[in-house]
Amino acid sequence: MDYLYGLAQTIGVHTILGLSAYVVLQTGQVTMAQAAFYAVGAYVAAMLTTVWGVNILLAIPAAAAVACALAGLAGFPALRFKGLMLVVATMALGEAVREFFFNFDYQIAKGDLKVGPAGAEGFRQIRYFYERGWTTAEVAGFIWVFVIGIMALLWWMDRSRIGAVLRAVGEDELAAQSVGINLTAVKVSAFALGGAIAGVGGALYAHYTTHVEHTAFGVVMATFAIAYPILGGLSSVFGTLIAVLFIQGLLIQGLPILIGGELRNLLFGLLILLAMNIRPRGLIDERVARMLRGLFVRSRNA
Amino acid sequence: MVLIQAIIDGILVGTTYALIGIGFTLIFGVMHKLNLAFAAASIAGAFLSLIVWQNLKWLPVPAVFLIAALGAGVLGYVIYVACFRFIPLKSPLATLMATVGMLIFLDEVVTHVSDGKAQDYPGMLPTARWVLGPLDLRVDYLLVFAISVVAMLLLLALLFRTRLGIATRAVAQQPVAAQLCGISLDRTNAATFVISGVLGGLAGAMIGSSAELLSNLLPLQLTVKGLIVTVIGGLGSIPGAVVAGLLVGAFEKGLETWSVLARDLCVMLLIFVFLVAKPAGIFGKLNVRD
Amino acid sequence: MLELKGLSKHFGGVRAVDGLDFAVREGEIVGLIGPNGSGKSTTVNLICGVFPVTSGGIAFRGRDITRAPPHVCLALGIARTFQNIRLFNELTVWQNLWVAQNSAKHRKQRGFLGRWVGGRGEARRSVERHLEFSALAKKRDELAGNLSFGEQRRLELARALAAEPELLLLDEPAAGMNAEEVGQLADRIRSLQGQGKTVVLVEHVMELVMGVTERIAVLNFGRKIAEGSPSEIQANRAVREAYLGTGAKI
Repeated sequence: MDYLYGLAQTIGVHTILGLSAYVVLQTGQVTMAQAAFYAVGAYVAAMLTTVWGVNILLAIPAAAAVACALAGLAGFPALRFKGLMLVVATMALGEAVREFFFNFDYQIAKGDLKVGPAGAEGFRQIRYFYERGWTTAEVAGFIWVFVIGIMALLWWMDRSRIGAVLRAVGEDELAAQSVGINLTAVKVSAFALGGAIAGVGGALYAHYTTHVEHTAFGVVMATFAIAYPILGGLSSVFGTLIAVLFIQGLLIQGLPILIGGELRNLLFGLLILLAMNIRPRGLIDERVARMLRGLFVRSRNA
Repeated sequence: MVLIQAIIDGILVGTTYALIGIGFTLIFGVMHKLNLAFAAASIAGAFLSLIVWQNLKWLPVPAVFLIAALGAGVLGYVIYVACFRFIPLKSPLATLMATVGMLIFLDEVVTHVSDGKAQDYPGMLPTARWVLGPLDLRVDYLLVFAISVVAMLLLLALLFRTRLGIATRAVAQQPVAAQLCGISLDRTNAATFVISGVLGGLAGAMIGSSAELLSNLLPLQLTVKGLIVTVIGGLGSIPGAVVAGLLVGAFEKGLETWSVLARDLCVMLLIFVFLVAKPAGIFGKLNVRD
Repeated sequence: MLELKGLSKHFGGVRAVDGLDFAVREGEIVGLIGPNGSGKSTTVNLICGVFPVTSGGIAFRGRDITRAPPHVCLALGIARTFQNIRLFNELTVWQNLWVAQNSAKHRKQRGFLGRWVGGRGEARRSVERHLEFSALAKKRDELAGNLSFGEQRRLELARALAAEPELLLLDEPAAGMNAEEVGQLADRIRSLQGQGKTVVLVEHVMELVMGVTERIAVLNFGRKIAEGSPSEIQANRAVREAYLGTGAKI
């Protein structure tokens, strides 16, 4: 049973990672920087709870705020790059942030233990949940409160005017401008929101793994972040969730039990290849999304 | 003096970065899409030659390099089929993701094959030195330089003096018109991937031999470095990739004399400076379609 | 209402627009015609801030908008349609109109938060009205990309109108239309004038231009070669030469 709760935690944390890229991708900005904001969220929250003894309910919003601010700042220069150049630029940003944490050292003695990030060794002893005796089930539930909250927010956004504006920008910037949409405001805001969500995800991630180090926040995680929404389709938040369930739940956790060994990334890579060849627009593309919506919601407007 | 020495070393080794940059830029020029798996395929080719060499110790060193180049060339074709051939052109995200998927796959394969640590790789006269006045040049670096330059010249000859080369340049400029002239898009693209793969495999072998070590961290490291070179040089520009490769090589080795941290941070800074100041790169045109 | 003074746009050596002086009075329907490449669409793009101006000035209601970006022009009350339709194909008809409610009037009505949420009531009623006016009400939930060509043209116009503009720049709205459709378009343009809007019509289809405009300016090689009423323009020799070349005998 504990194994399932652990799996639920992993899926929850990865879903938030994917959702952090969802909004940004909708505006047509392909970002490889979400892992960087995830890392910021992780380190900030972990430092708050571990080094300064802050309550986790304060640490998470604080982490989100910091990540949001950084992402907002990054959003402005990001405006200068179109398409592939943005991928490269955000990749470079991600690497720079990772390098930063590789060298980041801030330790405080607590009792006879040193806590805090220790550069290349990473940040150990993020024991907030353990110290307070949370069970695996409780941690899973805690994580999923945030997952559901974020999904609800994004789902509502998709159906509101904001969602339509985001997608209009993603589809045709010139037309969007010509009907009065302020591209800068929309694109930077999307970046900032993505950063905030990544901050929440990173904060939860740090506390559920209890140990983070810079290598976790590299290109592979950045890829996961955009792979989930792209594979799942950018028309519905549920697509992202399904993609996470499929990749993490089935392939990475499930199959190795059968095949054995550390084959997760291998399978991940192959799966992406397969998925992109078979369904280039994602599992839940616009057609499927409308069909699903038609099943559940009997409203006049999409 | 140490600095000048380091910079010269950097320029010599920078030719390998130039080759990787050329590979990225060649594919971008023809398909208007990035093959993010390129550097990983180059290193995978090098590792393939490593395995062969480990089992056939009697193989002469040049043959090992050849295997790396050919192996990477085959991988190039595989990447073309797996990531580009069947995905419709109007899904740019899909091809990008596919190459990322391939990158992750190849990186994992390399990690497994190398057991997670760096492996020994044959060097070229690693202890020989050529003393030129105040400079103490490593012969193997000079060989790397020479080999890479020859490869680049062969590529230019291919592009400008053969039918395949003309076809490649035609497809890069006007794919539809090229087809109307009877050029097979599929075969030309495939050939481009194979050729760039061969260049990349050679570069991988050179990188390994100059350090006498093939590191399992190379696929990702080289991807980032290759992209930096491509961007600084300008997407789609071969001379740009060459200049940028030498520049980054010189920068790296020069900064290494100061500290490793400075090296990493400054290379990052370099790409930011370029992206902000000259997003088109040294020779590029800001006419990126995607 | 709209004033272009010495407007020029150079693309490298090519002078797409060359010292254009042109004025539009409030409530007019003005035509802008000329052979292909004469700079008509470029002029529209310059007015709307899509291209940066090389030299000269544009004023709207006395306010300098030479350097104003497209979304600011829209907020000030200028809307345009595109020659090759640029709809949001992945959005529904309804959503295409919904995202266009960005004029200053809209902003004042609902405030920041209200507009982003989409607003009940008035916003939706407004979209409904525009759907009715363009005969697209039945297709409101259809993806714009799935509409027929004629429907897409109507939606393109409806979207520009949904922004509640005061000045409408129409870029070849009649391209590809048959005579009946052109007649319907002409009626729609006239009713727009009845609603107090000003229209600048860039067109090749002469039936529409001559039938609906009160005044026409003719461009050739980026310069204005003639200006006057439809009948004056039809009789003008320079215009005929621009379209048909010198030496044509009619």
